[in-house]
Amino acid sequence: MELQILMKRLPLFIITAAVLISCEKEITVDLPTTPSKVVVEGVIETGQVPIVLLSRTQSFFEPTTISGLARLYITSATVIVSDGIVTDTLDQVCSSQLTEDQLIAAAAATGISVDLLRQINICAWTDLGGTMVGVEGRSYSLTVIADGRTLTSTTKVPFGIPLDSLWFKLANQRPDDDTLGFLWGTIADPDTAGNAYRWMAKRINAGSDGDAKDASFVAPLFSTFDDRYANGLRFDFAYNRGKVAFSSADDDNNEESGYFKMGDTVVVKFSSIGLPENRFYESFSNNVTSQGDMFSSPANVMSNITGGLGIWAGYGSRLDTVICGP
Amino acid sequence: MRKIRSIVGPTVVVAVSFACSIAHAQSTVTISGYVKDATNGEALIGANVYVKETLRGAATNVYGYYVLNLEPGKHTLVMSYVGYEDFVQTVDLKSSLKLNIEAQPKVIQAREFEVIGEKEKDSTQGTQMGTVDIDVQRLSTLPALLGEVDILKTIQFLPGVKSNGEGNSGFYVRGGGPDQNLILLDNATVYNASHLFGFFSVFNADAVKNIELIKGGMPANYGGRISSVLDITMKEGNNKGFHGQGGIGLISSRLTFEGPIVKDRGSFIVSGRRTYIDILTKPFLKDSPNFSGTGYYFYDLNAKANYKFSDKDRVFLSGYFGRDVFTFAGSNSGDPAFKIPWGNTTVSARWNHVFGPKLFLNTTATFSDYSFAFDAKQDQFAFKLFSGIKDYGMKVDLAHYPNARHHLKYGGQYIYHVYTTSTVEVSSGDTEFDITTPPKLHAHESALYVMDDFDVTDLLRVNVGLRLTRFDHVGPYTLYQLDDRGRSVGQEDLASGKHISSYMALEPRLSARYTLGPNSSVKASFNRGQQYVHLASFSSIALPTDVWIPSSSKVKPQIGTQYSAGYFQDLFEDVVEASVEVYYKDFKNLIEYAEGAQPQGNGNTNYDAQLVFGDGYSYGAEFFLKRRTGKVNGWLGYTWSKTMRQFPDINEGREFASRWDRRNDLSVVLAYDRNKRWSFGATFVYSTGQAVTLPVNRYFIEGRLVSEYTERNGYRMAPYHRLDLSATLMNKGYRTVKDPLTGEEKEVLRSWRSSWTFGLYNAYNRRNPYFIYFGADGVPSEGTFKVVAKQVSLFSILPSITWNFKF
Repeated sequence: MELQILMKRLPLFIITAAVLISCEKEITVDLPTTPSKVVVEGVIETGQVPIVLLSRTQSFFEPTTISGLARLYITSATVIVSDGIVTDTLDQVCSSQLTEDQLIAAAAATGISVDLLRQINICAWTDLGGTMVGVEGRSYSLTVIADGRTLTSTTKVPFGIPLDSLWFKLANQRPDDDTLGFLWGTIADPDTAGNAYRWMAKRINAGSDGDAKDASFVAPLFSTFDDRYANGLRFDFAYNRGKVAFSSADDDNNEESGYFKMGDTVVVKFSSIGLPENRFYESFSNNVTSQGDMFSSPANVMSNITGGLGIWAGYGSRLDTVICGP
Repeated sequence: MRKIRSIVGPTVVVAVSFACSIAHAQSTVTISGYVKDATNGEALIGANVYVKETLRGAATNVYGYYVLNLEPGKHTLVMSYVGYEDFVQTVDLKSSLKLNIEAQPKVIQAREFEVIGEKEKDSTQGTQMGTVDIDVQRLSTLPALLGEVDILKTIQFLPGVKSNGEGNSGFYVRGGGPDQNLILLDNATVYNASHLFGFFSVFNADAVKNIELIKGGMPANYGGRISSVLDITMKEGNNKGFHGQGGIGLISSRLTFEGPIVKDRGSFIVSGRRTYIDILTKPFLKDSPNFSGTGYYFYDLNAKANYKFSDKDRVFLSGYFGRDVFTFAGSNSGDPAFKIPWGNTTVSARWNHVFGPKLFLNTTATFSDYSFAFDAKQDQFAFKLFSGIKDYGMKVDLAHYPNARHHLKYGGQYIYHVYTTSTVEVSSGDTEFDITTPPKLHAHESALYVMDDFDVTDLLRVNVGLRLTRFDHVGPYTLYQLDDRGRSVGQEDLASGKHISSYMALEPRLSARYTLGPNSSVKASFNRGQQYVHLASFSSIALPTDVWIPSSSKVKPQIGTQYSAGYFQDLFEDVVEASVEVYYKDFKNLIEYAEGAQPQGNGNTNYDAQLVFGDGYSYGAEFFLKRRTGKVNGWLGYTWSKTMRQFPDINEGREFASRWDRRNDLSVVLAYDRNKRWSFGATFVYSTGQAVTLPVNRYFIEGRLVSEYTERNGYRMAPYHRLDLSATLMNKGYRTVKDPLTGEEKEVLRSWRSSWTFGLYNAYNRRNPYFIYFGADGVPSEGTFKVVAKQVSLFSILPSITWNFKF
């Protein structure tokens, strides 16, 4: 939510605005080196097989070359998911083994760009047989053995809660603009406390290159919220359009950045998540938006993985499609 | 008299009788009175009144009152005070005598003032350690950021006092946090002493008469904070005639008016200041649609009146009101809009009563209020955050001079606190989010103290004191029961007046001076204090989002213990003063927000839910060399210190350097009076770079760069150093008139004085680090990704000009 980001940035903004005399220069920072850790990005959602990506931490200032990037991803590991009854060792699928069509599907499933999947060997762990799919209300444990370490975690796929309504509304943030806006939703939060939600969206109408505008679901920063202040309430909320990290797309780098546009067809994935998962995504957004600033105390992302970093998240997902119109 | 004794309790009575029993048996008489400036009637604080033959004497208190107990007979009484002619009078004492002294300013100088800093001779003679008095008048000729004279920035030049970074008025004393400084304006607590996010302090130097900073050996009449006391006294106003002063600077203007209510009996002073950054920048912002509704300003208003009903009774009424207002609004209907007002209000009413020459009573009623609000709106969303603290206080202090060897003080204090901790309101359209307003928190804080400044022998003087403090957090209050994830699972409503938690402590204070010779002494002190209010801070700078919270069953009182020792020497016939002080300070029950805590995260739960607790320590050595008088005067201070913190829940329990740990800290302040019209000032500071937390590793989540931090405050920014210069040109202080009768030419003092102060901040344009951030360039998938560290510096070389006037 935009207000949250603005609030965080406010002191910085005030100081620069009030002073107007600051200047900056690049400096070299000597930091100690520490052993790298394993980072998990794992998701299991309603009716879908689990997908797990594994990477490593790198020294903060290490320049990233293509070969360096290849070292970032883990290509050999054992990944086990269990729902308490069935224990499934996931299949390792690596981009070097995939056909072009499979690469596009893999890009949609993982959010990693097709270009990158083509260039370096990136592996994911999933259930190719489809025996293990997310069932709402069920808990799933994860065990990862990689780089000589064992990582464990547990998540639950909560019951999905559909949006009551979903609509497009002009943002009115630019003079003479009558096409750009945000998506709004209404949700009726259940009476029980402790619900949390995550918002992701994908534009499926064709962009200028003829492909769908988004290759995968994109979550904006601060894409989650919980019912701490809204337990049992029915209320409206709005989201700006999320950007793929380091996106070079035109509409992520011009005045359309952050907005949905009149005429877009958008699929919204609205997922119920657990509180630890919400805490992860919230602290992740705070970490990403406060890198190195002195106005907030630096804090690590709160992971739900024991023995490593990252997230193992269950999504109770519901999909809705909206056409952005007046 | 008897009545008052019964108020302060049996402790005091015991102490008094103890003091009297060991007093000399021989009969003494008392000479007492007020010392005032003869031109405007302002009380002179810290003036020395002594007997020439024995050099035994006393300093005037904050109301200019002094008492000497002497043997009957002939004595030569001398009053000396910086910038004033010595007053000398021979008295033949047969019985007690009241002697009010009107001190004449030294008019031969064009300057209104002579030295910066503390009162004469006191550093080697008093029992006080780590105490500095500052004459505010002189500060206007020292360099200041954008020409805004700032008393808090001046005290940062003293050894043991550290600044909170570039341009910031926040200060830290001997390793203590910003909340551990008791800042008093005419006895009322000021909770947030900064304007504009710390760049300026709330104290308008034109309205301030005296500042006393106590950084060690805190006497028993002060309490409630464990690191320092900054006691600020406002001017009383001229009781002889109407005068004004003011100034026009780059960012603000000031105007002060003072005069008698009834000549020689009562006076008033009103002083105001307002910035005009908003007015200056508005025309430029008009064309930039994104900032059209943006504005920032702050203002201060100080007022004080006093009236002397008789030689024995005098009342004072003073008040401060200041506000900062920041607004932001885009020009389009969908843009977010903010309004952030905050500020302090203080009121104090005092009654001085002299029971007799040996007993002086001061009764004060105070009110302090600090409030902050953050109001944001976007489309149908509204967000409101507010917090504040209100204090209603009452204080009774008695100064008792039973005989020549004892100077007793005793009294009591009571404060009723009402806290509004972070309160959040959020709505989307008509839906009000359910953020149960945390009830206001109510607490009683009370204290009783007794102290004796006592000459044990002619060489040894001790100041021994005890302070008994008590804190009660009382209802109404809603206590939420939380589960292990911090969710509220139930609540308990506690009725009004019901005790929730109580703390009590006996705080010992001891300092001693042993005179080694006429010009040198050694001193030592020990003191322990408890602090029942805490400032929880999300950032390293003084942001108004910082929230004051009281001790609770979970938040224990902070405990500070300090040991210090020092050697003091006057050199070159008292022209130069030198001292070395060492200290060790231990802190218990410090608070911090848990890692990753958010300002809005406190809603619907206990206010202390996001806090973590730990301990700390600090030790250091302070060297101070000061030239008091002469054409070139000023000081050099150097501090070596180490300040560490340890919290089980921060940094994985490992010890870490505090944010205000600066190993080396050097400051030089110089003033040079070239002639009657020109004077120059220079200040230089050097300090070890600030400790900051930087990420050591990075990783990617959903393609975004995530930082991994390992060591809290594990990195040092580049050292900070800066030179500031100033030059002040006064108008001619005298005009020549021809005597019509004799034809003789005479110089007559002008009533209109004006001056230009030219300043140069950061004269050699040092790019001091303000903060470090990281910029990412390139795209990972193209192999061009690179993270670079960027250091932001705030103020480059900055000239300023200020015009001041006085009539």
